[in-house]
Amino acid sequence: MKGKVIGKEQLAGWLDNLREEYDVWAPVKGNGLVSFHPINSASEIYFGFLNTRKTPKDLFFPQSEVLFSFRRGEMEKDRDTLLEKPRIIFAIRPCDAQNLALLDKVFDSEDYQDPYYVERRKGTLLFGMACTHPQTTCFCTSMRAGPFEKTCLDLLIVDLGNDRYFVEAVTEQGKDAIGKNNLLEDAGEKDTERLAKTKKEAEEKIKSKIVIEGLEEKLDKIFDSSLWDRVHQRCLGCAICTYLCSTCHCFALLDEKVDSGGQRIRSWDSCMFPGFTLEASGHNPRISNKERMRQRVMHKFNYFVKNFGQTACVGCGRCIRNCPVNIDIREIIQEIDNE
Amino acid sequence: MQENQKHLREAAEKLLSDKKVDVIIGYERGTLPLRTRPVFIREPDETKKLVWNSRCENNLSFYLKTAKGKVGIVAKGCDARSIVGLIKERQVKREDIFIIGVPCPGIIDRKKIEDTLEGRDLQEGVESDSQVILKGEGFEEKADKDKLLHSSCTTCTHRNPVLYDTLIGKEIPEPKMDEYSDVEEFSSKKDNERWTYFNDETSRCIRCYACRNACPSCYCPQCFVDQSLPTWFGRTPHPSDTLIFHMIRTLHTAGRCVDCGTCSRVCPMNVELQILNKKAEKDVKELYGYEVGTNLEELPPMATFKIDDPQEFIK
Amino acid sequence: MKEGQTVDTEKAGWEPRIIAFLCNWCSYAGADLAGISRLQYPPNVRVIRVPCSGRVNPYFIIKSLQHGVDGVLVSGCHPGDCHYINGNLVARRRFAIFKSILEFMGVEKGRVQFSWISAAEGERFSQVIKEVTEEIKALGPGKRFVKEI
Ligand code: SF4
Ligand code: SF4
Ligand code: SF4
Ligand code: SF4
Ligand code: SF4
Repeated sequence: MKGKVIGKEQLAGWLDNLREEYDVWAPVKGNGLVSFHPINSASEIYFGFLNTRKTPKDLFFPQSEVLFSFRRGEMEKDRDTLLEKPRIIFAIRPCDAQNLALLDKVFDSEDYQDPYYVERRKGTLLFGMACTHPQTTCFCTSMRAGPFEKTCLDLLIVDLGNDRYFVEAVTEQGKDAIGKNNLLEDAGEKDTERLAKTKKEAEEKIKSKIVIEGLEEKLDKIFDSSLWDRVHQRCLGCAICTYLCSTCHCFALLDEKVDSGGQRIRSWDSCMFPGFTLEASGHNPRISNKERMRQRVMHKFNYFVKNFGQTACVGCGRCIRNCPVNIDIREIIQEIDNE
Repeated sequence: MQENQKHLREAAEKLLSDKKVDVIIGYERGTLPLRTRPVFIREPDETKKLVWNSRCENNLSFYLKTAKGKVGIVAKGCDARSIVGLIKERQVKREDIFIIGVPCPGIIDRKKIEDTLEGRDLQEGVESDSQVILKGEGFEEKADKDKLLHSSCTTCTHRNPVLYDTLIGKEIPEPKMDEYSDVEEFSSKKDNERWTYFNDETSRCIRCYACRNACPSCYCPQCFVDQSLPTWFGRTPHPSDTLIFHMIRTLHTAGRCVDCGTCSRVCPMNVELQILNKKAEKDVKELYGYEVGTNLEELPPMATFKIDDPQEFIK
Repeated sequence: MKEGQTVDTEKAGWEPRIIAFLCNWCSYAGADLAGISRLQYPPNVRVIRVPCSGRVNPYFIIKSLQHGVDGVLVSGCHPGDCHYINGNLVARRRFAIFKSILEFMGVEKGRVQFSWISAAEGERFSQVIKEVTEEIKALGPGKRFVKEI
């Protein structure tokens, strides 16, 4: 593997160069939360983050967007320009990048391409930042990935723990982004050694594990199990676990109207809401939190696997950290395994 | 608190073995450091799972609305006030519940711990009488509990449950303070500043409705924001709709909200609107002499009236 | 742009648009009397007749602001005169809290107003409308809560 290194001091210069051509989005801290924002200078970046509270999925699939607007029965305006300039998402975590591979299956498949998603995705370069300090709730290594996973990334950046970052180009576009300036130099042997060590250490830090082998088959058999009565009990039916989840991608289409015109809006929805399955007749097939919780687990670990051959979870741990009643997906998987 | 935890377990075990209740809703240790979570206990020997400490943050009265059979419930001061409200609003029958009251010295705010950690991952936490010890990769720190208390707890004047069937431990002294000084301070700001504050806070809201769903007073089978015939207010996080959602929720919980702080604690986006709830609480107290959740007899203030209610605001 | 709005509101000559929710039994009749008596009042109000001031859900008011009206007036029977005996008294509490919260959030005092006007008070009706219109005019166009579609 041929890699590059860049001194931490040089990073700002590199990003400034890139900003001539790209909008650079990076983690910024505000109100106790870290989230991705377009930056004007590298000094705005908050490096002390473990991961952002919300996932960057909303940079591709925003919580709500106007698909088109209409007036007096006629289409008034098609969608806006989605991206003014090509974008770089700097320091996206590997799990959140890997998630895009899952969303691609939904929004950019052979049968169906979602133009909004695809346009944003095509116009964006992903510069991943490896997790050298994974959290206790991270279990990406159980999800066929890890803290140095490169899926979907154009570049992987690794904090070597000294005064340097290791930068590895994953795609041609990533290579171009490096190639355009001379702030990066070829990595030496010491750097590669350090990289290997950092990687090993990071992987070892991830203690939390779940077993997904055989999970899909198991779930086929326990749809009616009393397990669901137990695990949902304390659930409040809020949608935190789905809205903050990397992979959740359900949406609703709504029309917002004034007398003669309006907009068609796409907005996130959640299987944890009663209204998600409410039918026009008033009947609701998922009548309580139990059915909704089961749906959430089934969709991620069974239906999605059946449809797309992969589990719809990347192990980011957001649902665990943020559930107000501490419902822990790892524990649920364990219980399913015990059934 | 350790002592009370022991008493709590004993009381719970006895209630279950004597078949006085079918289930006990309390707190157990969570899967994350320093977290507890609601637990439903049906067997006497499971009562050792019960915990009582300064991290018992959930308002368990939420679960009464769907619980079946006779329910024993662990209730802090604010939870007990919520229960009074639920009984009054006929969401639960007094005779169906057994309230295990616990005097509460205040609950730690997870977000304040997060702030202390400044992005570092908490791997272990230990609580003692006055401090918590926070441990993680390469650090071990102590923090004073006093400084970590949730804002609702720092102005709480009902630490002892107002209604209970058994009380765990001894009552603790109720502090004397001006509980609405923050509301007054906020009111003295300019229109623009207040408007900006609410806009800033709600701009982070992702409309997950955790605040509503966790609130013991928000039990409507269909909330106004979910109504679609007609759709009153938009469901997207549009600034106007989001502000309105929070505003109307405040109106709906006015005279019912006990300032338990649950809605602010559950919010994943650190949206802080407690001041709005407190304002409504203060209004019903000043205008109608009503203190929420402290009295089983009085009608809820928004469900009744007096002929001489203040009306200076009407032309 | 707000629905149906064609003038630049910031320019001189701007006139506020005000919605008045009037109860059928008193205030609406008061408005009628004002009309029959040929009393002058500003044409800025659009009247919506409701059975009782108690029928006015705060949603109506906030939805009006959201759609860009510049002011709202709710008017009902004087206490003791309510056709439904106490609809206006329950409403009074509701409006007191609503108005207080609205202003606490930063909506200008006077943007949303309340009055009691009886069927016999045609004169008073025209007076109240004049006052309300003047006050709202002084506040300028409603901006808070406005949602543009
Ligand atoms: S975040 Fe927790 S409480 Fe909320 S819906 Fe998900 S599992 Fe239930
Ligand atoms: S299910 Fe939980 S751990 Fe898995 S991707 Fe979603 S939020 Fe992350
Ligand atoms: S919990 Fe927070 S983010 Fe969710 S709807 Fe309430 S205020 Fe908004
Ligand atoms: S509105 Fe918030 S503080 Fe008030 S009762 Fe509900 S959860 Fe508690
Ligand atoms: S906000 Fe209002 S309508 Fe919605 S659940 Fe709460 S009380 Fe009911």
